[in-house]
Amino acid sequence: MSQVFHEIEKKIISSLKENPKQTMEKLEESTSLSSDQIRRGVEWLRLKELANVSESITILFSLGKNGLEAFEKGLPERRLLDLLKDGPKKLQDLQKELGSIFGPAMGLARKNNWIESNNDQLSLKNSSANLPGEITLKTIGKNKLSKIELDESDLSSLLKRPDFIVQDEIKSKEISLTDNAKSIEISDSTGAIDVTAKAPQVYVARTHPLKDTIDEIREIFVTLGFSEILGSMSQPSFWNFDALFTPQDHPARELQDTFYLDGISAKKIGTPDQIKKVSASHKQGWRYLWDIHEARKMVLRTHTTCVTIKHLAETKPDEARVFSVGRVFRNEKVSYKHLVEFNQIEGVVVGKNTTLRDLMGIQKEFYKRIGITKIKFWPTFFPYTEPSLQTMVYNDRLGKWVELFGMGIFRPEVTKPLGIKKPVLAWGGGIERIAMLKYDLDDVREFYNNNLNWLRSATKCQ
Amino acid sequence: MPVVELSYSNLQKLIGKSSKKQISESLPFLGLDVESEEGDLVRVEYSPNRPDYSTDFGIALGMQGLLGVKTGSIKLNIKKSNYVIKVDPTVSKVRPFVTGIIAKNGKVDDKMIKQLMTMQEDLHFGIGRKRKKSSIGIHDLDKISFPLTYTVANRNHSFIPLTSQNTMTITEIIQNTEVGKDYGALLGNSSNVPIILDSKKNTVSFPPIINAAVTTVTHKTMNLFVEVTGINKQDAEDMLAIVATILQSAGFSLYGVKITGANNSSPKLVPRKLIISPNLINDSLGLKLTTSKIITSLKKSRLDAEAKGKNIICTIPAYRFDIFGPMDLVEEVALGYGIQNLEPMMSPSQTIGQTNPVSVKLKLLSLTMVGLGYLEVLNSSLTSKRILYEMTNRKPAKIISVRDSKSQEHTILRDSILPSLVENLSRNIHASYPQKLFETGTIFLQGDPIDEKVSFVGVSAHQDASFTEIKSILQSALKSTFNLEIETATLANPIFEDGRSASVLVNGKSVGIIGEINSQTIENYKIRVPVVGFEINLSGLIFD
Repeated sequence: MSQVFHEIEKKIISSLKENPKQTMEKLEESTSLSSDQIRRGVEWLRLKELANVSESITILFSLGKNGLEAFEKGLPERRLLDLLKDGPKKLQDLQKELGSIFGPAMGLARKNNWIESNNDQLSLKNSSANLPGEITLKTIGKNKLSKIELDESDLSSLLKRPDFIVQDEIKSKEISLTDNAKSIEISDSTGAIDVTAKAPQVYVARTHPLKDTIDEIREIFVTLGFSEILGSMSQPSFWNFDALFTPQDHPARELQDTFYLDGISAKKIGTPDQIKKVSASHKQGWRYLWDIHEARKMVLRTHTTCVTIKHLAETKPDEARVFSVGRVFRNEKVSYKHLVEFNQIEGVVVGKNTTLRDLMGIQKEFYKRIGITKIKFWPTFFPYTEPSLQTMVYNDRLGKWVELFGMGIFRPEVTKPLGIKKPVLAWGGGIERIAMLKYDLDDVREFYNNNLNWLRSATKCQ
Repeated sequence: MPVVELSYSNLQKLIGKSSKKQISESLPFLGLDVESEEGDLVRVEYSPNRPDYSTDFGIALGMQGLLGVKTGSIKLNIKKSNYVIKVDPTVSKVRPFVTGIIAKNGKVDDKMIKQLMTMQEDLHFGIGRKRKKSSIGIHDLDKISFPLTYTVANRNHSFIPLTSQNTMTITEIIQNTEVGKDYGALLGNSSNVPIILDSKKNTVSFPPIINAAVTTVTHKTMNLFVEVTGINKQDAEDMLAIVATILQSAGFSLYGVKITGANNSSPKLVPRKLIISPNLINDSLGLKLTTSKIITSLKKSRLDAEAKGKNIICTIPAYRFDIFGPMDLVEEVALGYGIQNLEPMMSPSQTIGQTNPVSVKLKLLSLTMVGLGYLEVLNSSLTSKRILYEMTNRKPAKIISVRDSKSQEHTILRDSILPSLVENLSRNIHASYPQKLFETGTIFLQGDPIDEKVSFVGVSAHQDASFTEIKSILQSALKSTFNLEIETATLANPIFEDGRSASVLVNGKSVGIIGEINSQTIENYKIRVPVVGFEINLSGLIFD
C-alpha cells in the first residue's frame, strides 16, 4: 500500500534512501529545503515512526594562533632547515633571524638529528620532503575538519604543540530511516494529504456540567407533569422555618447552621391571617411564645421548600404539581462533601393521587430516568412532613448505599394554618450529589472551582 | 443528628429472640441510620424527635416491636411512695417547674453510668434546647434525705459541685466551671438562682447547671433520684417520661414523687388516647389495610390500639410525645407495617408540566453564548470583600453580609458577578488561551428588604482581546437571543480602564457596563493578557 506524504517528507525520504545517515545540515544541502522545512519534516516522520533521530558529537579541528603562523610561514623547524640549506650558519645569526621560534625549532631539529653543531656553527645533516605535521597544516588550512578527513598520526604531532590546533565539539542530529520507512511506497498522487495525521486540539465552548444536570432534572419533572416555580434566595425566617412548623428555638435555626443576613429584617412576611394561624400552630404544638421579630429575620434559604410552601399558601390549589430548583445555603465548613451553597430540587403534588405509595412511585420513575434503578426507601424525620421517608440509591463505584432525596406528606400543622386543605406530597434533595454520581466526582467543590482544564474536558453524555 | 453507639450482643440480650443479622437489617426501618459498624459495635444516627432512641434500652423496645418479639405499648409501673418535693413560690420567676421520680434496685455499673450520661446530654441538647427548656439531674437516692425543697438561693450560696473537691459559691461555679460558663447565661442577671435542698439543708442540685458532688452516681449506687426542672411543666414531664421509661426497661422499680406548691403538681406520666379513622391511614399510605391489620401494625410500633365502631382508638404512652395527631399515627402504621412492604405506585399525571419562562430564556441565552465560543462557569452567590472589591478596585456600596460564616471566602452576598469571572481567569493562567467565559446568576442589592436581580456576565481574555470584540459579542448575543439592540456610551467605572469603559444602553436606558478590565486588577491577579468584559442586568430587560 502506498502512503501519502507531504512534499517535504518525500524529499527527505528519497535523500535518505540514497545516503542513509545524514545530519540536518547535510539534508539541507541534499534536498535544497530550508532548515525550518527539514526540522518540521523530520519531526513529522519521527512521529510516524519512519525516521530515527540520533544525536552525535563531532570534534572539528582548526588551526590556532601558532598553527596559522606556521601555515603561512612554515613550521619553525622548517624555517630553520631552510636557512641552513645553503650551508652552515652562525648560531647568533640564526637566533637573530628566527626570534622567539628559534628555541623550539632548535629543540626539535636536534632531537630528530636534522642538524649538527660545530663550535658556534650549525649545519644541516638530514632533511625530508615532509616534516611531521606539515601535511595536516596544509590540509586544514583555514577550514574546520573532522578526524576522518585528517591523517591521525600526523595530526597528533601538532596536538601536543601549544596553540597549534583548536578543537570544537559540534552536536549534530543524524537522521536515518527506520526499517518501516525503508519498505514504504510513496504515493505520487498530487494534492493528496495525510488523512491519518493528528489534528491539533481545540476546546469546545459548552454549558456547565452542573447546569446540564439541572436541565436534565428539570426536563424530567416537566415531562412528569410538573410546572416550575421560582422564588427568592433570601427569605424571611417565616417562610423558611415558621411556616414549616420549625419552632423558633429549634437547633436548625441557629446561627451556626443558617446564614442570617446581618441586621436585615422583612417588614412584610405574610398576610395577617397567615401570621396569626402559624403563630397559633406553634403555640399549640410546641408550647412557647412565638415571636414575630424572629420570623422577620432574613435568611438565605436553607431549602427550596420555602418557595413551594409560599406558592401553595398563595394559590391554595385543589390540584397541582409544581417544582422549584435553585440554590440553597448552609453555614458549614467547606469540604469535599459540603458546600455552603448548593442546588436543590423540590417538588409537590396536591390533590389527587397523594398517597405515600404515589410519592414513592414518582421518586422511582425519576431515578429510573436518570439511570438509577437500585433504590430503596427508609423512614426518616423532617419537622414538616409526616410520614417521612428518604431514598437510598446504590452507588456501584463506592459499593454502598447513599442517601438522596427526602420526602413526605406535609404535616397538617403546616398546611392547615396556611389554608391548604388538600394533602400535599413533597420531596426534595441536592442536585450536586446526583451530578457527582454522573461525573464520577469525589469532591463536590469541583463544580465551583471553574477549572478550565476540567470544564473543557468533562464529557457531556455520561 | 445525634449518634448513639450500640452493642449487638447487648441488644440481642435486651430484645430476646433475635439474630444479629435481623437486628442489623431492621435498624434502618426503625429510622436509625447506620453510620459505622465494627465487630459487635454499631454507631447509629437517630432522629431528634425520638430521644428514647438515645440508649440501647430504648432501641431494644422499638426493635422488639418491629421484630414481633414483644408488641403493644410499654406501661410504666410507678409505685406509690412518700417522697416529696415542696416548691417555694420564689422559683416561679427563675425556673418555675420541677418534677421527679425514684428508681430503685437497679444495676449501676460503669456502662450504665455512661449510657445515662449520654442520654442526659442528648436530652439536654435536643428537647431540652440546651437546658433552656428543661434539664435533668440524676442522683444517688441514698445520699439525700427527703423531703426536698425546690427554692432559690442567692449567688453567695455555696456547696461542693459535681467533680470538685472544694466548696464553691454560685458565682464561682458560673465563672470557673465548664458547665457554668456554657449555661450560666440561662439564668440571666437575676440575683437568685434555682436550687434543690434536702431536709438537712444540703444542696442536691443547682439546676440547670450542676448537681452537688455528694449525690454523685457511682457503681456502688443502687437507687436513683431523678429530677427534671424547666420553664414549662409539660416539657419537664415529657423529659421525665423518657427517663422513667428507659430506667424501667433497664430493670429499675419506679416510685412516684409527690410535688406540691406554686402551680406544680405530681407527674402523672399516663398514656393519652387518640382516635383515628382507618380511611385516613389507607388514603395516606395508598393501602387497603383491614382494621385488625392496622391495629397489629400500631402494636408493632409499641402503641396500643383497639377498634371502636368504624374508628380506632390508639393509646399512646407518655414518652411518645412526638406524636401530635392522626398523621403521626399514619407513620406509626407505616413503620409497623414495614416501609419495605410498601410498593411504589405510578399514577398517571393529571396535569401538564411547564418550564418557567425565565428558565427557558436563560437556557436560550446560554446556547447563544456557547455558539459564540463562550464557556459557562458557576460562582457562589456568597463571596468575599477581597474578590468583590479589593482586587478589582470597585467601591463597596451597601454590603449585605451574613452573620458568623464558618468560611472566610463566603461572607458577603455578591452585588456583581464580573469580579468573580476575573478571579476565575486568574486561577487558569496556565490553561490555553483564548479564555472566554460567561455566567448567568443572581445578584443581591439592598431593597425592601433585598432586591434579587438576574445578571448576565461575560469575559474574554487573550493577547488581542479588545473593547470592540466584547461589544460585538454582547450585541450579537442580545440581538440573536432577544432581538435587542444595544448602544454604548462613555461612562467611567473603577473596574475598567479609563477611556475603555462604557455603559450599555437598550432603548436609551442603562442596563449594564462594558469595558476593558483595569490594568491594576490584571496585575493584582498576575494575568498576562488583556481582559475585556460586560455585565448586564436581565431583570426588567427580558423578564420582570
